[in-house]
Amino acid sequence: MDILRKALHLLLIRPLLHLLFGVNVVGRENLEELDQFVLAANHNSHLDIFLLYSALPLNKIARTHAVAARDYFSNPPWLFKAVQFLLRPVWIDRSEGGITAIKEIQRRLDDGRSIIIFPEGTRGAAGELQAFQGGVGLIACHNPDVPVVPVYLEGPERAFPKSAPVPLPLWNHITIGPPQLLRGKSKEISSRLHDHLEALAEEERAYRQRRMAEPHQPLSVAVIGIDSSGKSTLSRRLAGCFEGDSCFIGDSLELFKDRAPCDAQPLVANEVRKWVGRQAKSAKSLAHYKIPKLAELLLRDRLLSDVHRWYRPDRIFMDGSPLLNMVGWAILYHEDAFTENICAAAMDILTGQHVCGKRDPILKKFPELEALRKLNLTHLHLPDAVIFLDVDPVICIERITARGEKVQAHENIEKLTKLRKAYHLVCDVVQQTLPVLRLAGDESLEKLTEEAVAFIRSADNETN
Amino acid sequence: MLDVSPSIYSLIALFVLAGVQLAALFSKGRLEAPSALRSLWIFFSAIALADWFSFCGAMWLLAFVSFCALREYLSLVDIRLEDRWGILASYLSIPFMFYLIQIEWYGFFIIAIPVYVFLLMPFFVALGGRSQGIVFSVGALNFGLFFYVSCIGHLAYLLFYSARMTLLMVVAVAIADGVYTSGKFKSLALRTLVRMAILCPLYVSLARWTAIPLVHSAMLGILIPVSVCLGRFTLHAVEQDLGIRADRLQPGRGRTIDGLKSYLFTAPIVFHYLRWFLKWGDL
Repeated sequence: MDILRKALHLLLIRPLLHLLFGVNVVGRENLEELDQFVLAANHNSHLDIFLLYSALPLNKIARTHAVAARDYFSNPPWLFKAVQFLLRPVWIDRSEGGITAIKEIQRRLDDGRSIIIFPEGTRGAAGELQAFQGGVGLIACHNPDVPVVPVYLEGPERAFPKSAPVPLPLWNHITIGPPQLLRGKSKEISSRLHDHLEALAEEERAYRQRRMAEPHQPLSVAVIGIDSSGKSTLSRRLAGCFEGDSCFIGDSLELFKDRAPCDAQPLVANEVRKWVGRQAKSAKSLAHYKIPKLAELLLRDRLLSDVHRWYRPDRIFMDGSPLLNMVGWAILYHEDAFTENICAAAMDILTGQHVCGKRDPILKKFPELEALRKLNLTHLHLPDAVIFLDVDPVICIERITARGEKVQAHENIEKLTKLRKAYHLVCDVVQQTLPVLRLAGDESLEKLTEEAVAFIRSADNETN
Repeated sequence: MLDVSPSIYSLIALFVLAGVQLAALFSKGRLEAPSALRSLWIFFSAIALADWFSFCGAMWLLAFVSFCALREYLSLVDIRLEDRWGILASYLSIPFMFYLIQIEWYGFFIIAIPVYVFLLMPFFVALGGRSQGIVFSVGALNFGLFFYVSCIGHLAYLLFYSARMTLLMVVAVAIADGVYTSGKFKSLALRTLVRMAILCPLYVSLARWTAIPLVHSAMLGILIPVSVCLGRFTLHAVEQDLGIRADRLQPGRGRTIDGLKSYLFTAPIVFHYLRWFLKWGDL
């Protein structure tokens, strides 16, 4: 039987792997002198096990057994039989837990046989080394005289990745590291083996060609809220709370480098926006307010692209988001017509995600939307995270009067209450796709900042 | 003597090559067989095979070379996981292209890659579903297809028309390569001139055997060094980007691609030059 097994390996599996995929083994001499070994390799693909067998010296094939999960190979039955005959693996039933398998491995090691094990336990993400399971540590701990050979496989994660239905002919490189005699506690052994494999992986990765780095994507955070809710103070403060480059877009444009403000080159769009913003603020009625405000918001969005392009910050903090403000204001003008669905549809149209025909009823209902669509201004940015500062309009009015500036056309309790409701609705809609934080704005600024910083850090981790 | 078939010469060349390889084998590392010999092995055996046994066998041998080169290139280049359909399609284009040579369908062979494959490939890549990086993927796949399928296909088509001219071209490229790697001549212009000085007389003196008119023989003697020079320069840059180190060629890490780099530019140029001026086929 052993002869047939060897012949099948030599005449069928190896030529097939070589012809179809191409196998390059580096460090074969590391295995040749060993009588018994535990071979620990990274696991990315179904090909791994066959590739490792093709790297073994011929006289060791019959006396080496892989540890394999039964559920991978149990379907179809002929595959199970073939694998059982060719490799005689130690089957692991993952529903049962590993103790029986460990016992079986120990039995074979005592018998003088060698073991191939994938310490990651399962096929991980392509080209990355996952944390090791406990098994390899236990085995090495109980058999201190059996050398552990780290092997790094490069290529199978591209030739036959986890998600792919069929393998493709691409080269595989098998790097056999120097054998290690590991002694100590099982966890220690595990981590040392992980380091060895990681070192081999680093070396292999150095060969890989890399295309251009992915474009820099800053995290944009919008702080929304009604007038005088303290959103501009909060967002400006937040910009100074993070390491790296942060940018604050509010009434002014400020750049922070590692928490300290630094000089920013002026942008034309910003100057224009400021002028338009002044026009909006001096508007006498809500009707006169609409057009300059809309222009200001559009310019602000344009400014966002410019900031991406010229400053390349890591984070952008916005006092209000052009898109969300626009939708909020639209709700203010047409309050009865707005529901969550319409709000979501309007946002999709404004960000250019929703493709609707000319006769879509929503465009009939909101001529402004149609005008924007005709002007091709429907490519607004959706922020990556939203913070809503929820403040009672009464307090806001107090703050506005205390400031002593000229009161804008919409700054009365009735309108601000409506606006607050509108922002709540917007948050409900946005919440389905983006992280949203709602803060009660009457708390102290320190506490608000603290909460917001924690929120942004978690959002940052999520997007990465 | 000049009338004997080209495979005699390629057999002689094979024996010489075998001698060099054996010498390298027995010298225990003192003498190293140059890596360029590998491609010469394949080409000479293909020529002998085509002349004595069957053109089909030689052609499918070259198809296998094309497959190996493309496989190596695709293993080295940074492709996304989503490009698998595109990769599969580019592998499938190899039997397709070589089948076109086998049935002598020149018209379709010549437009198959620039028209149909270059149109279908972006489609298959787009099937992958992720748009980010798609331009680079399409570019990488098209580059591989053009050089490692189309150009080697041209070599096979040249072999189909005339084993002699193929033999002469392979020898000429090998000589040009030899001048390049000997490193005696430092400047590029000088190297190209030296090659021309060797190859022009060679082609002219063999004009009766190859049945190429004298003028065109001389022209080929000029054309081949120039195209070898262009090819080496271009593909050297590509190899550097792919991370192939000429001093450390490993299987799967540039051994095949590096051996072929001088032939890739020359094969289509010589083929089309001869086809046009010798009025092969139905123009």
